Amino acid sequence: MSAETVDSGTGPAPRKGVSILFGLTLLGLLLFLWLLLGLATNSFWTPNNISNLLRQGAMTAILAVGQTFVIITAGIDLSVGAVVGFTSVIVAWLLAAGVPLWIAIILTLAFGVLIGAFHAFGIVRMGLPPFIITLATLTSLRGIGLLITNGSTISITNEAFTNFSRADFLGVPSLFWMVIVVAIPAYVFLHLSRFGRYLFAVGSNSEAARLSGVNVHRTIYLAYILSSTCAAFVGLLLASRIGIGNATQAEGWELQAIASSVIGGTSLFGAVGSVHGPLLGAFILATINNGANLLNVNSFWQRIITGVLIIVIVYFDQLRRRGAR
Amino acid sequence: MPGLDEVSDSKSDGLRTAARHPVPRGEPILEMRALQKKYGAVEALKPATITFLSGEIHAIVGENGAGKSTLIKLLTGVIRRTSGEVFWCGKPVQLDNPQEAIARGINAVHQEVVLCPHLSVAANMFLGDEINNAGLMRKRAMTEAAQSVLDDLGFNLPAAATLGSLTIGQQQLVATARAAMRGTQFLIFDEPTAYLTRQESAQLFRLIRRLQGEGVTIVYISHRMEEVFELADRVSVLRDGTHVGTRKIGETNDAELITLMINRTIEQIYHKEHFPAGETIVETRGLSGPGFQDVSLTVRAGEIVGLYGLIGAGRSEFALGLYGRHASTAGEVYWQGRKVNINSERKAMDLGIALAPESRRDQGLCLNLPIGLNINLPIFKRLTRGLTINRQKEIENADRQIRDLKIKTPSRRVLASAMSGGNQQKIVIGKWLSHGAKLFIFDEPTVGVDVGTKAEIYRLFARLLENGAGIILISSYLPEVYELSDRLHVFRRGRLVASHDYRAASHEEVLTQAIGV
Ligand SMILES: Nc1ncnc2c1ncn2[C@@H]1O[C@H](COP(=O)(O)OP(=O)(O)OP(=O)(O)O)[C@@H](O)[C@H]1O
Ligand SMILES: [Mg+2]
Repeated sequence: MSAETVDSGTGPAPRKGVSILFGLTLLGLLLFLWLLLGLATNSFWTPNNISNLLRQGAMTAILAVGQTFVIITAGIDLSVGAVVGFTSVIVAWLLAAGVPLWIAIILTLAFGVLIGAFHAFGIVRMGLPPFIITLATLTSLRGIGLLITNGSTISITNEAFTNFSRADFLGVPSLFWMVIVVAIPAYVFLHLSRFGRYLFAVGSNSEAARLSGVNVHRTIYLAYILSSTCAAFVGLLLASRIGIGNATQAEGWELQAIASSVIGGTSLFGAVGSVHGPLLGAFILATINNGANLLNVNSFWQRIITGVLIIVIVYFDQLRRRGAR
Repeated sequence: MPGLDEVSDSKSDGLRTAARHPVPRGEPILEMRALQKKYGAVEALKPATITFLSGEIHAIVGENGAGKSTLIKLLTGVIRRTSGEVFWCGKPVQLDNPQEAIARGINAVHQEVVLCPHLSVAANMFLGDEINNAGLMRKRAMTEAAQSVLDDLGFNLPAAATLGSLTIGQQQLVATARAAMRGTQFLIFDEPTAYLTRQESAQLFRLIRRLQGEGVTIVYISHRMEEVFELADRVSVLRDGTHVGTRKIGETNDAELITLMINRTIEQIYHKEHFPAGETIVETRGLSGPGFQDVSLTVRAGEIVGLYGLIGAGRSEFALGLYGRHASTAGEVYWQGRKVNINSERKAMDLGIALAPESRRDQGLCLNLPIGLNINLPIFKRLTRGLTINRQKEIENADRQIRDLKIKTPSRRVLASAMSGGNQQKIVIGKWLSHGAKLFIFDEPTVGVDVGTKAEIYRLFARLLENGAGIILISSYLPEVYELSDRLHVFRRGRLVASHDYRAASHEEVLTQAIGV
């Protein structure tokens, strides 16, 4: 049945049918890239490089999951890169001011919640298009971050914090574990809970959702808060990794996140998406960057390849979806 | 149409198509030979051979999902055939894109209006065919030309208005005018009267006859037998994607067609059981809101309260107001004797009100989501155990509604958009049956639903009443509200203007009150 979607029950959960095929295709592509790079270079399958790859991909992956929630509601969150930079400043600043680590972390995440709530407020109450309100915060947050730091960076001296990103657990980088920490609840939320269903319903037809008793406003708040909170979380991880707070970091990461999500099968028209897709998408992008570095491919070419890849994958996904028209 | 002539080129010469007859009246103009369409594994149309004669009105009837719309989409190039041939004026044609069909003079008014709601009526009528002056669109000229076409057709519609501000029925008329003005030889109507009131239907029928008089061949799809007998010269029947026969209208009757369509007989469509009226469920006193004023009515357990009126008379607005979609501006609502303030949909649902809205596409369904999700949407809260949805129950409920309502689908996972119009309507109803309620508001519940299922739905109403619920039934189809309502209220321009007990007034009386002459 060509019109079948991503689901096994009645919700758009990724289990049976065509979507698993798509998921497998992405996974296949990822493994194929790994195999290829393993053959083409000596350094790809070294523990060092793999750890590096997992670290690189982890942060985009978490952003992409949050972004996907928003895109499913037929919205977009352009601010996530700026939120990452901004929250790296916040956590560095709090730590420099002597705030205890745990409180600094919680406060930083709370900033994420606030930013997301502000986006939803703009969309729901002020009637602004998601593109506009998140574009506005994209530039303002960078500005605020630069004001706080006076245009420079804040170093982080807290060893416990900076060591975290370098640590391994069971031989796997702790940053990658963070992907799992985010992905499992995200999966439960999107595919198994009713709130996930509501995201899809709002993205598909918000009037129908509303008349069916779905609290559309609350659902939009939820989506944007989750996206910004994921971004704040990535801000923490980034600050830990580079040991500084800097408002200009993570430039363009919003596009990476959107690209990962779209490669992972999310539709920008809303109501189509999953958790595993964006994760795979993020690691495919990370692999391409990593491989290109190893192969000494000009970084300009990396960008071109990424662009071509987006077109090819989304095109095939469209073909699949249209099925037997 | 003098207004048109000033600006027209050969394409927009209004309704005057007769001059370009390709074949003499009564000769085959379009022949389908073993035309077939598969959607993946679903064979929506089995190889069908039907001949359409020049200048005839050819009706097509069949159950929901029988393949009528599929046939139409094939002939208009909206979808591509899987196999078979089409002959136009004796020559084989591809018809694999809409432009080709339009260029040959084949036009359709589709079941779901596919126009741009943000553009003006005029812009929609000229869409893809704009009047321009060295590349610049002549907006004023288009509005004037469109207005004169609309006036000429007797449709009382403003050409400058935004399409989205019109009712669905009015949008359907715009689509009709659009098709009628583009040099049409062959015009297909897919359930055009589904959202029209009697008066509007009458206008449409006049237009159809007039086009026929001008030599246009008309294909007319409808679930309403009386329309088929009133209009058509010949009728073809589809059942489960199979063409099961074509009859001259004089040589057949209701019963034969229905038997051909559903392969069994139904003795009575309007199934009406009377139950003793119970306690009052809801009472409105002087309720006013956007689009309706001063409406006072009561609904008691076990009764159907019908609301009849022309489209735009404020019935749906009243329903939405009662359901908490729009804030009311005056008046009171008493729920089981207690004064309540229903200020949100959730509040209405929690009290025990269910609303199956008028437009399945805009208000009723999440089209690009699975049928199952649509059916369960109002009840996910109830299906949730702890953090997650109880999958077993979710599946069971969806499957039960699909079975009970005979929704024609291979699986609950199929997207709602892949369903035929009537089956989509059943999803909307199924959604509220699974939710359950004390008061059901059904706004045009049988639009696009075939006879067999209609009878089924009316029987379902009786079950709901038996279980102590009350029903508000809104319909623009007079026989339906007339035969089913224990109490019938007539709306005109946002006000409740008359009320009748079961069959207490004649059709004519009700109609007159609705029109207000
Ligand atoms: N895009 C699609 N993908 C898959 N199946 C489809 C699609 N469109 C229609 N179908 C299936 O094809 C069959 C015929 O549908 P069609 O729309 O032609 O019915 P119909 O006779 O017009 O019914 P109705 O009276 O309800 O409008 C149905 O079983 C329907 O589910
Ligand atoms: Mg149809």
